[in-house]
Amino acid sequence: MDLLLIAIVAPLVLALAMVLGLPKALARNLAYLGFALPAVIGIILWCQFDAAAKESTYAFLTTYDTGLTGLGINLTLGLNGISLPLFVMAGIVGLAAGLYALQSAAERLNHYVTLLLVMQGGLMGVFASVDVFFFYFFHELALIPTFIMVGIWGGRDRNYAAMKMTIYLTVGAMLSLIGLIAIYYTSGAQTFDMIALREAIAAEGLSTVAQRNIFGLLMFGFGILVSLWPLHTWAPLGYGAAPSSVAMLHAGVLKKFGLYGLIQVALPLLPEGAAHWALILATLGVVGNVLIIGVVAMAQRDLKQLVGYSSVMHMGYAFLGVACLSVVGVGGVVFMMVAHGFSAALLFLLATSIHHRTQTFDLDEMGGLVKSAPVLSAFFVAATLASIGLPGFANFWGELTIFVAAWQVFPTLTVIAIAGVVISAIYGLRAAAKVFFGPPTEAFAKVLQEQPATDLTWSERLPALLLLVALLAFGFWPKLMTDSINESVAEIYPAVETTVPADVARN
Amino acid sequence: MPTELLQQAAADNHWAAIGPELMVGCLALLLLVLEIVLPKARHEIIPSVAVVGLLGIITGFVINYHTAFVGQTTFNGLLRHSGTGQFLRLFFLLAATGVSVLGIVALKRQKMPKVEFFAITLVVSGAMMLLAQANNFVMLFVALETVTVGFYILVSYTRTNPLSLEAGLKYLIMGALSSGILLFGIALLYGVAGNPALTAASADSMNFDALRVFLYANPDNIIAAVGIVLVLSGVAFKVGAVPFQIWIPDVYQGAPTPVTAFLAIASKAAGFAILLTLVTVFDGYQSLVVGVLTVMAIATILFGNLAALTQHNVKRLIGLSGVSHAGYLLVGVIAAIHVPFAVGAICFYLFAYLLGSLAVFGVMTHVSGDDDADQDMDHYADLAKTHPFLGVVLAVGLGSLAGIPPLAGFMGKLLVFLAAFEAGLYALLGVAILGVVISIYYYFGWIKAAFFPQWRPPVFEGDDPLPEPPRQVVSTPAGILLATAALASVLLGFYQGPLGAWLGLG
Amino acid sequence: MGVGLTEYLTVAAVVFAIGFVGVLVRKNTLVIYMCLELMLVASTIAFVAFSRFNGTMEGNVFVFFILTVAAAEVAVGLAIIVALFRRRQTVQVEELNALKN
Repeated sequence: MDLLLIAIVAPLVLALAMVLGLPKALARNLAYLGFALPAVIGIILWCQFDAAAKESTYAFLTTYDTGLTGLGINLTLGLNGISLPLFVMAGIVGLAAGLYALQSAAERLNHYVTLLLVMQGGLMGVFASVDVFFFYFFHELALIPTFIMVGIWGGRDRNYAAMKMTIYLTVGAMLSLIGLIAIYYTSGAQTFDMIALREAIAAEGLSTVAQRNIFGLLMFGFGILVSLWPLHTWAPLGYGAAPSSVAMLHAGVLKKFGLYGLIQVALPLLPEGAAHWALILATLGVVGNVLIIGVVAMAQRDLKQLVGYSSVMHMGYAFLGVACLSVVGVGGVVFMMVAHGFSAALLFLLATSIHHRTQTFDLDEMGGLVKSAPVLSAFFVAATLASIGLPGFANFWGELTIFVAAWQVFPTLTVIAIAGVVISAIYGLRAAAKVFFGPPTEAFAKVLQEQPATDLTWSERLPALLLLVALLAFGFWPKLMTDSINESVAEIYPAVETTVPADVARN
Repeated sequence: MPTELLQQAAADNHWAAIGPELMVGCLALLLLVLEIVLPKARHEIIPSVAVVGLLGIITGFVINYHTAFVGQTTFNGLLRHSGTGQFLRLFFLLAATGVSVLGIVALKRQKMPKVEFFAITLVVSGAMMLLAQANNFVMLFVALETVTVGFYILVSYTRTNPLSLEAGLKYLIMGALSSGILLFGIALLYGVAGNPALTAASADSMNFDALRVFLYANPDNIIAAVGIVLVLSGVAFKVGAVPFQIWIPDVYQGAPTPVTAFLAIASKAAGFAILLTLVTVFDGYQSLVVGVLTVMAIATILFGNLAALTQHNVKRLIGLSGVSHAGYLLVGVIAAIHVPFAVGAICFYLFAYLLGSLAVFGVMTHVSGDDDADQDMDHYADLAKTHPFLGVVLAVGLGSLAGIPPLAGFMGKLLVFLAAFEAGLYALLGVAILGVVISIYYYFGWIKAAFFPQWRPPVFEGDDPLPEPPRQVVSTPAGILLATAALASVLLGFYQGPLGAWLGLG
Repeated sequence: MGVGLTEYLTVAAVVFAIGFVGVLVRKNTLVIYMCLELMLVASTIAFVAFSRFNGTMEGNVFVFFILTVAAAEVAVGLAIIVALFRRRQTVQVEELNALKN
């Protein structure tokens, strides 16, 4: 049996069964299975990956005919060193989001879970697809439920947020689709298969002009999806309105689609185009995302918006790493994507848990929660430290590697980016201090009186623990991931010279 | 009396080749006979006879899909049987079935004679099936007029309703005008291609094959060019391409909802069937045809989407969005001149459009009240809560029309865009993408109206509460139709298998 | 000098133009309807003329089809106009504007 296919199809089939009217109680129990299966399969495949037979970096390759073979569109599944960590991350974050959703008291919970399962199936498909068309297809499959869930179960401004997200992300997706179609035709391969595309382009090579144009399309298309400044405005608004599990899955996993597309498709296929745009990408990422958004984040008073801005800000590091065009930089970005997936999801989860206890997202109205909820505050402080990038957490290695790689290429921008770490420390720690320490404000004291805050319940702790353990595991033992990443990246990027010994990335 | 000539001509009349059309015609007659024979109380089974009969014809047609006639011409060159033609015949049969089911639902509420609706629907679909295979201007004109006159009656079918009559009158004037233009174009082409003074002139100049040869041999004939433009304009009326789209919003709004569905789905497909044929016939005047169609496509996409943005009446909205769909399909037609698989792409697009439209119109039929022309977006408030089934079907249908992956409509758009890209139509592609992005806004607005909680004016004591929007109970056949359309829209997005193979895409 | 193809075609084109412009500018539905018929007649003239001068019969045959179709169109069209007049007591197009947003 093809485990990859099961990981994608199981949540989708369950969702379909729930639409067709599975009994509610049974459906909910099965939903646990639907969320757990992808995560378990991800870990199993990870263990098998080193030993598995590989064909141009991809293991577990299988191809299914969906009826469009004539156009070179096939459902080809497989994992390489870049997609494997993301696949596992998607599985684990999905499990955490699913567990969190199932214990929440959302209205019409069954519909909510159904859509979340669709999203989960799409996410697994994104990282398991070797076919560029299906890679895009699964992304959209995961994106549509996002809009619907934000619109129905969202918080403040949900209609506006859902509309804005839809328009922005559709534009981004359309731009990248045109870019992908352009690669399909200009490569002469007449296929969407990533391996065949690479071979065709290695043999023929695209003209410099074509590369520049296509890379520009992909950069802005994917850039909108990853919230590249100044096309990021949908993100804080959308995350602010999104229900917690959706924000976890979108900010944690789905958003990485754009970066993954840049790394897996755009950079290796269009090296000259990438070189042309690198400086612009790095500048937008560092000055726009890290610096400007960092400052904006410092001014936020709304906890969830703050987490949203922080997620946008950290994407700046990823853009900087991508713009280095080196094995080290890209390796760092992959590591950071995984780490950020866990930490962003954890932060959104905890922000919602805080909201349940304080009934507000306004930082100025909170305080002193540590007394009644010590475990929650411990988790939150840990998540904040992780997101700042302290050693011991996975984010540290990602950011460090990116800085090392970027120092060779963009020294000034690297300095600014490192300054950004200080910014994120300021707003992160300030938020933690306001929520948990200090005396409770008057308004908050009233809320506490009516509804004494409890600590994290076990059903909330379990998903949070899952994410935190993953963060720490990769933080203390980065080699878990780096070996396979390096191997694949080095093979896909043979033309680009490595300016830094690969050992640095392997730390 | 040269009987040999007649015999020779008759030898080419393979009646089996038009078996499905004959059966559709006979079924229409059978319905009329049943109306006379059966007592009045039993008349309600007649619509079921129509639907069951159509399903039978479809089954037989699918079994004999790969008939020996494909690739041949019959009836002295009046008809050419092709793979695309076969697909379109099936398409029109399916459309007629869907519309008949919707007709049963909608006519229940009207005090209208019920039988003629189904009989005319059948006759019109039979004519469309012939139209898709026409290989001669005589055939094309007669079939097209049968369709058009049938639609005059259908559009003004609820004759107690002045809005329906007004729509009928508007459709009548516009339809007759387009027929007149088309006819004059045919006359010019016929005359110039039969002129013995010119090279490659033919005695059989109504025949598409002969005309094609003639146009190749005389690439600079001004009268032929005028004829081509007039013919294309006449067809553009039928598909609702700008600047011949003015009738669409009013007629779509006034016509009974099932007829609107029939207009949107089958009439448009019939127009594109003609266009696909004509584009190959007019191959010698490629630059002229491409120029005319390109301008039309750009204007159609932009106008359709921008005009739909401001609509609140969903029938007008779906009509104007249908205009934009005609624009995307025009892009496909232009691509089909250079890229063979574009024809398959157009067929797939039409099929996805059929499924999506049936889903949406099916829901509209159930949501509409007594006044069929008054269908506002506000009537959809809380639809998802009170009628989850209708809500889901609506969302899937609209999503598919909007071209949201993973639904069938997305694959249709993607295939057409792929073809356009291969044909190098970058400017058109850019406009089309822009159109898709705009269209997300109004489709999403409609879904939003049905799904997302709405603000309601508070009801004070003493005031009458706002009247509940009228909604119908979904009957079993209608439920099956809606569920099939929605499920097929989803499945075709994931797996195109046999359909892709049929259309030469697999 | 007898009457040639050009003259017939000129007449056809003029009649067609009169009909076309009439449809666009006239306000009375019945007059519009007559203009539509004029357009069909123009095509008929062209068909017959071409048929005569090209020496092919098809044009003449086509005219029969046009006549039949025009008859059907008139039957349905007048029925609609009469029914509409009964409801609205007018056949002026500018007063038939109930369909709008």
